[in-house]
Amino acid sequence: MISRGTEGKSKGMKMRCHQFREIADSYVGNELNAETTHAVNSHLTNCTGCCRELSARRELSARLRDALINAPENRMRPEFTNILRARLRDYAQSNSTASVVALSSKSSSAKFRRAASAALAACLLLALVIGAAVLREWNTGRGPVAVSSDASKPGQLPNLFNASLAKSAVGDHRHCAIHFRLSEKPIDLEEAGRKHDPSDVNLSRAILSGDLPTGVEFLAAHSCIFESRRFAHIVLRYQGRLVSLLITDNEGNMRTNQPSPPTVEQATFIQCSQFDGYPVSCLQTARHAIFVVSDLSEGANLALARALAPRAVMYVTHIEQG
Amino acid sequence: MFREAPVTESQLEGTTHWERFESEAMPHVASLFRIARWLTRNQTEAEDLLQETLLEALRSFHRFTQGTNCRAWLVSIMYHHQSKNRRAAIHLHLVSDAEERIAETIAFEEPAPQNLTDEEVLSALRRIPRTFQEVVVLADVEGLTYKEIAAATQIPMGTVMSRISRGRKLLRSELAAYARAHGFGEQHREG
Repeated sequence: MISRGTEGKSKGMKMRCHQFREIADSYVGNELNAETTHAVNSHLTNCTGCCRELSARRELSARLRDALINAPENRMRPEFTNILRARLRDYAQSNSTASVVALSSKSSSAKFRRAASAALAACLLLALVIGAAVLREWNTGRGPVAVSSDASKPGQLPNLFNASLAKSAVGDHRHCAIHFRLSEKPIDLEEAGRKHDPSDVNLSRAILSGDLPTGVEFLAAHSCIFESRRFAHIVLRYQGRLVSLLITDNEGNMRTNQPSPPTVEQATFIQCSQFDGYPVSCLQTARHAIFVVSDLSEGANLALARALAPRAVMYVTHIEQG
Repeated sequence: MFREAPVTESQLEGTTHWERFESEAMPHVASLFRIARWLTRNQTEAEDLLQETLLEALRSFHRFTQGTNCRAWLVSIMYHHQSKNRRAAIHLHLVSDAEERIAETIAFEEPAPQNLTDEEVLSALRRIPRTFQEVVVLADVEGLTYKEIAAATQIPMGTVMSRISRGRKLLRSELAAYARAHGFGEQHREG
């Protein structure tokens, strides 16, 4: 509690108005000690002027509080609120193991070491399986990229997957949606549409029009750059996880051995793979590559990609065809 | 406020790091955004500052002492980030003699709060020096105590007290013309 020179002056004598004014702010803030508060109360019972002044001060504080709280610019955008919460939760969950290790007592650390050993063994086994699969793909001449593919029409897939592009998509998902550590700030899709790629302008409206697949929640939409590649980025949440729908202009990177751009029908074929532990589902239109990246299971990611594919491909193809 | 709090196993039991953070820190997000918006005067910068603050708070949440004022703890992290972001942070600059003198020479004028619009109150607040604005907002709007404001802003408590008092005085002065125009603000006789 505050002890001021003025408080001493009030001891044993009647408080005067100018003394009250000196400590009125501390009185309003309930920062005075009991003795001084009592002296102020006594003064206020006999001084209507100071009572009025005190009331005015309190009223002004209340008006200031209301004005700031009610100001529209001081309210958070709902989409920012949602994505911030999702990012923080994902960050907490991705670091939860480390937190538990740091906070656990000795008795539980042995248990954790056993769990960590089991996890390490599982990872090694998984790496061996993936390595064998990649080697098999390589030997069959399809390159080292695809680990699995869409089972809808096996054997008919156009050679869509561009590994470096898919890695960039995963990188954008990680750095933008999850950690928000991009070197350049995202911009609105409309602005990106005017400056870079016309398909960005109405992209979010096209993707989000009508009902989203059940359980899918929209969080944010913008245009961002990861490793010099610009993506239209729609961030969704599904099964409690962040999901990125990423669309990038791929005109300059079309495979040279691809005889002609895929048709709309072909473009709905989806190839699925994993990079850095993230499942990636990929589609390609004549000029754009479309990715769905998340840390869902590969099956769930693929199912979601299939659900979102028709509206994404239809819209992008429509823009490409002018 | 920043004392290392020993976290017992029983505290961990049944709740995750995120759940504890969510229940303690997340209810203050709207309040933190207001402060960030006031500090930066820019929507995007305010969102960035809020995110930096909450990420840092999440990383250091084991340092938060349960039972203390979480909002004050978060505000202190926000101020730390803001000063780091700005390098020569505005809130850390010394109040100029001129500002101090102006604050000292303002005569008390009683405003007429019941006749003020929100925009008039905010405009008046924007016209006073930022150094005073910030402490007034933390005290009157966010309800922090002098001690909590001193810890958050790294300003001595005596300075916080005087700045709040002078800030409010300047605010009343800015509103005085309006008050007089509506027939309020007469000084009462000394008792």
